[in-house]
Amino acid sequence: MLASFDTHLFWVALSSGPYWRGALLALEVTAASLTTAILIGFFVALGALSPRRGIRSISWIYNWLFRATPTLLQLFFIWYALPQLWTGFAQSWFTPFMAAWIALSLNEGAYMSEIIRAGLLSVDPGQELAGRALGLSRRRILQRIVVPQAIRIAIPPTGNEFITLLKLTSLASIISLHEILTASQELAVVKFQYPEPLLAALLYYLAIVSVLMVLQSRLERRFTFTSARRRRPSTAAAVPAVSHDAR
Amino acid sequence: MSVLRADNVHKRYDDLEVLRGVTFEVAPGQVKVIIGPSGSGKSTLLRCLALLEETDGGEITLEGARPGPGEVGMVFQRFNLFQNMTALQNVMCGLVEVRRQSKSEARKAALEFLDRVGLADKAAQYPDELSGGQQQRVAIARALVMRPKAMLFDEPTSALDVELVREVLDVMETLAREGMTMVVVSHELRFAHHVASTVLMMDDGRIVEEAPPGEFFSAPKEERTRRFLSLVE
Repeated sequence: MLASFDTHLFWVALSSGPYWRGALLALEVTAASLTTAILIGFFVALGALSPRRGIRSISWIYNWLFRATPTLLQLFFIWYALPQLWTGFAQSWFTPFMAAWIALSLNEGAYMSEIIRAGLLSVDPGQELAGRALGLSRRRILQRIVVPQAIRIAIPPTGNEFITLLKLTSLASIISLHEILTASQELAVVKFQYPEPLLAALLYYLAIVSVLMVLQSRLERRFTFTSARRRRPSTAAAVPAVSHDAR
Repeated sequence: MSVLRADNVHKRYDDLEVLRGVTFEVAPGQVKVIIGPSGSGKSTLLRCLALLEETDGGEITLEGARPGPGEVGMVFQRFNLFQNMTALQNVMCGLVEVRRQSKSEARKAALEFLDRVGLADKAAQYPDELSGGQQQRVAIARALVMRPKAMLFDEPTSALDVELVREVLDVMETLAREGMTMVVVSHELRFAHHVASTVLMMDDGRIVEEAPPGEFFSAPKEERTRRFLSLVE
């Protein structure tokens, strides 16, 4: 039996400005961080696959550093410690948004590099060989042949990472980023009523992730290499997933 | 006068010596078929000729100079068509990316070469949607469109179902009759009989015997060749 569920409060929460803005902010941090992380991850992955040992170890150290330490600690370090170490970060540009963006990009970059590395490795070496036989440069081979095929493999785990990151943005409520969790907590504290504000927050996450899942399946179809009329839902082989249980 | 020439080529992988001084040349319009047991260095020799492997000694020359990009065409056992491109895009790729031709120019030439291998109607298909034989013919067109001075075939029919072998050999035979200089690693002895100028036997990183097909198959000089032929035939 529901002791008390204030439907009105629920609708107020769901349609309130702080929630909308919080959701938008969470989405912005997620999108910005994931984009940066893909860039970082791409170069870290290339480094990990480099024939040069020195470059491989730089990639290894990067992954080790950012995967072995808690994300929350990294966020704290960047928000609280960095401005004390480096006055350049004690300026007005260094907002909670910037701190969250930097911390989550660096952290996620390590995970993305593993996904991208797995994607690159999944491409048959015969593809590169054929490219070289035609006289294509290594860069062109990567750009035109290997990366498009690796993307196909990397999309599903990258979708996972998007979801993980979206949820990780709630960590940034601790460094006073006004995302959805902050909005729900503020409302709950004022009304002294938790179910409605938290349920509303939950719905926001569900909505965002649902939209993402639709976009992801479209993207997967875009990178399934069959002619349009035969295009069908992907049946690509299972991809080794990176575990994020402990984040 | 030779088009493609290997001069005392050596290749080793760590302790394994795969090519132990191979000297061999192909004259314009000649078709050389190389046979030999697996591990004899046939494929490695082709890869060295295509500059896909650095040699550890010796020299590869094409008309007296080091071959330029796309000047020696290579066809692989497993086709290696670019999976993310249609048949047409596969054939266009070298022209656009290496020869720097415009897309429309490249498309025209690519369609012409797809037509030559009988696959103009498959231009829009991706490799996954083609049979092995069709994929290999697209791969041949992809190499030919670059107007190579010589073509290398590395066991081009070994990955094919029996009923698909013929269509690929037919394309190769036509190519040979048109005067293309070719080096073919293959165990299709009938093809060697009909098309080869000379047949070479490789074993243990060396060329053991080389002779015109009539002589090679009916009266091989080397014991090693006789033994191998008795196993293959």
